Amino acid sequence: MLENITVSPSPHISRPLSTRRVMIDVIIGLVPAVAAAGYYFRVYALILIPTCVISAVATEWLCNLIRKKPNSLGDFSAVVTGIILALSLPPGLPAWAAVIGSCFSIAIGKMVFGGLGANIFNPAMVGRTFLTACFGMLMTSWMVPATVDSTMPKIAPTEVSTKTIVDARTQATPLALSKQAIKSKSEAGVVNEQLEATFTGGIGGCLGETSALALLIGGIYLFVRRTINFHIPLAVLAAAFVFAAIGYAVNPQAYIWPMSHLTSGGMLLCAFFIATDPVTAPLTRKGMWIFGVGVGAITMLIRIVGEYPEGIMYAVLLMNAVTPLIDRFCRLVPAGGRPEEIKN
Amino acid sequence: MNYKLQTKAKFSESKTSLFSKRRREPSHPASVSFPGGTHPPGSKELTRESKIQPGPAGKQVAIMLSQHIGAICEPLVEKKQQVQAGQKIGDCDAFVSATVHSPVNGKVKEIALRSHAVLGRGPAVIIETEPENNPPKQPCSAKFTSDFNDDSYSAEQIRYAVRQAGIVGMGGAGFPTSVKVEPNPKAPKEAMIVNGCECEPYITCDYRIMLEWTNQIVAGVKLARKAAGCSEVFIGIEDNKPEAIEVMNTALKTSANSDGIKVVPVKTKYPQGGERQLIKAILKKDVPTGGIPPMIGVLVLNVATTAAIAEAVVTDWPLTHRVVTVTGEGIVNPGNYYVPIGTSVAELIEFCGGLREEAVRIILGGPMMGIAIADLTTPTTKTTGAVTVLTEKQIGGAKFAGIQTPCIRCGRCLEACPEHLNPTKIAHAVKNNLLDVAESYYISACMECGCCSYVCPANIELTGYIKTGKILLARQKKKIPQ
Repeated sequence: MLENITVSPSPHISRPLSTRRVMIDVIIGLVPAVAAAGYYFRVYALILIPTCVISAVATEWLCNLIRKKPNSLGDFSAVVTGIILALSLPPGLPAWAAVIGSCFSIAIGKMVFGGLGANIFNPAMVGRTFLTACFGMLMTSWMVPATVDSTMPKIAPTEVSTKTIVDARTQATPLALSKQAIKSKSEAGVVNEQLEATFTGGIGGCLGETSALALLIGGIYLFVRRTINFHIPLAVLAAAFVFAAIGYAVNPQAYIWPMSHLTSGGMLLCAFFIATDPVTAPLTRKGMWIFGVGVGAITMLIRIVGEYPEGIMYAVLLMNAVTPLIDRFCRLVPAGGRPEEIKN
Repeated sequence: MNYKLQTKAKFSESKTSLFSKRRREPSHPASVSFPGGTHPPGSKELTRESKIQPGPAGKQVAIMLSQHIGAICEPLVEKKQQVQAGQKIGDCDAFVSATVHSPVNGKVKEIALRSHAVLGRGPAVIIETEPENNPPKQPCSAKFTSDFNDDSYSAEQIRYAVRQAGIVGMGGAGFPTSVKVEPNPKAPKEAMIVNGCECEPYITCDYRIMLEWTNQIVAGVKLARKAAGCSEVFIGIEDNKPEAIEVMNTALKTSANSDGIKVVPVKTKYPQGGERQLIKAILKKDVPTGGIPPMIGVLVLNVATTAAIAEAVVTDWPLTHRVVTVTGEGIVNPGNYYVPIGTSVAELIEFCGGLREEAVRIILGGPMMGIAIADLTTPTTKTTGAVTVLTEKQIGGAKFAGIQTPCIRCGRCLEACPEHLNPTKIAHAVKNNLLDVAESYYISACMECGCCSYVCPANIELTGYIKTGKILLARQKKKIPQ
């Protein structure tokens, strides 16, 4: 009977929660956004999302094979990366470009560092940045959602005044319009009129970023499941809101409403799903606040002052880079105080 | 400067309020608690209702000469010498030490090494018993009634009796009680906390003695209070034991001279029974890191310890027996037993109907902090509150198989840590042999409660790494030879 007895360090029980379960929760949280993408962009979503997921999973499998490491697909983190990357791509991006992006995400963004838990940068954002650098044109062509009547006048920087149809398939995103308005010192009010569309998702933009509602639902699910805590999302959104509000207060003509900034672009996807990636975010609460405020502030700096209409991915990557530093400076104080301070 | 301090205090206040909202605590308005911790399943229903029964009358007992923190005792008996139950068989002159006694009548077989849960191996006096000469010892709780008065005992008398009886903290750490109750002019004791939390899953020995030996505990509390010279006493009991809270309250109401003794319900949360956590919950004070409760004028005693004090002072009988919960899904007849200290685990298991087929782990103590043993001849000690036998189902498939996945830095261990440490940083520093980094993250402040390992989704043995790190550090400082 004793041959079955084993020993191990305490504790001898553990909470039935695995990394796989955490990742599955993130995937469930992404379902509303994926559904919204399917609703608004139909066949493009159907092509892009599976393409990204399959190529991300295949790349991880291949990397493990080459490095002679045990298979790590069971943790589903590659699936999460694939979905998030797909959701942050323009709907009309050709599938081959998406494949390149996913491969780069996984291979260079994650596996070269040693796989899950070892990467410094958010893999999906690494892939997206790579695609933006390589295929700038493709990454900035925005398709009109299928739910929007294709014959209706498209809003694009040059067409705002004339309201003539130039291209039936693409349109500028609210953020592009905003940037245009800032640069040309023209009216940005038209973007504010789109607030409702940016909330529901019937507007041009990245595949999964257009519908703020779907992302909110997914985010709330993650809160309820305690997969993420509120610090980072709140810090990102609050910082972005404050910066946007300052801009709006300075010049309400050229700068769009703060709420429009929050609902458009990748802000919500970032706040709930990208910035909260635990691997690349700080460990401590204080660190999370700093990280979140950094992401929100840098994003808004790029959106308002910078050259690009959208700055989420750069903001996330920049803050990822300083995460080890944040962790170092935001150490926890033991419950009984720091021993070295007690002695003095 | 003042302004800065104020904002800081405000910030931490708001942080704790947000924190407590985030956790799903059982809503008990009166209960107090500490930040952090976790909620493992209680699993106490196995032995909750089982009354304290006399334990096995074994053929042999092995009395460890070190059952406490402090100097190891020297044996006072020789091979083949006859000993009486209650006879002192080991003593030490050191201040921090506790005497050991024979629980049985019998003959010393030898003084040999036995497996020890904490020390690995240690010297023990092995006594062969004479079954016909050893009727099972009855608990002395019947001697105590609600009109017990401590006036007839002086503080010196109580302290002497405690020292002579070899009483140690019976909650698990085993710090000699005589040292604890000794008044220290530099740090007068203001409050005494009696620990009836029993936050560790499965274990019910303290719960049962609170129900069955209520008056003895109240008597012990009064005596300990007198010996330590403090006025206020708080008896902390987790709110998942409402019956215990009730009987203790009733006993205090009817008892004479019980002013200043108060039962405090505390939240059911692991590790509520850790003394630092209990002090935080009841007195809202932090024990300094690396310090001990007397530094802030607090004395913490386990309920079983107070019962032992009452027995030692009133009946002049040393600590030779204790209640042990033999429990877990891997044991045939779980229950609470009053056993001679020194009974081997094998005898206890056999007495309880043996192991089930599925039993895979035998633990001295509970599943969170207990120590898994492979040698069933390991004797029980004064600090053994339970023998828990688990099956693979309770341990969990992945944990049992030892499958650890990479850390995803989710921070759950940081939130669960009751000492506000960074378990993942410490564990990974130890793993990479960076002991100085582990030290800079306050590895020595860890009390090894196991919360971090329990909550880790990647199944990383964080507590195991931290324990290893502490041993390596001690070796580095030449405290323990290689």
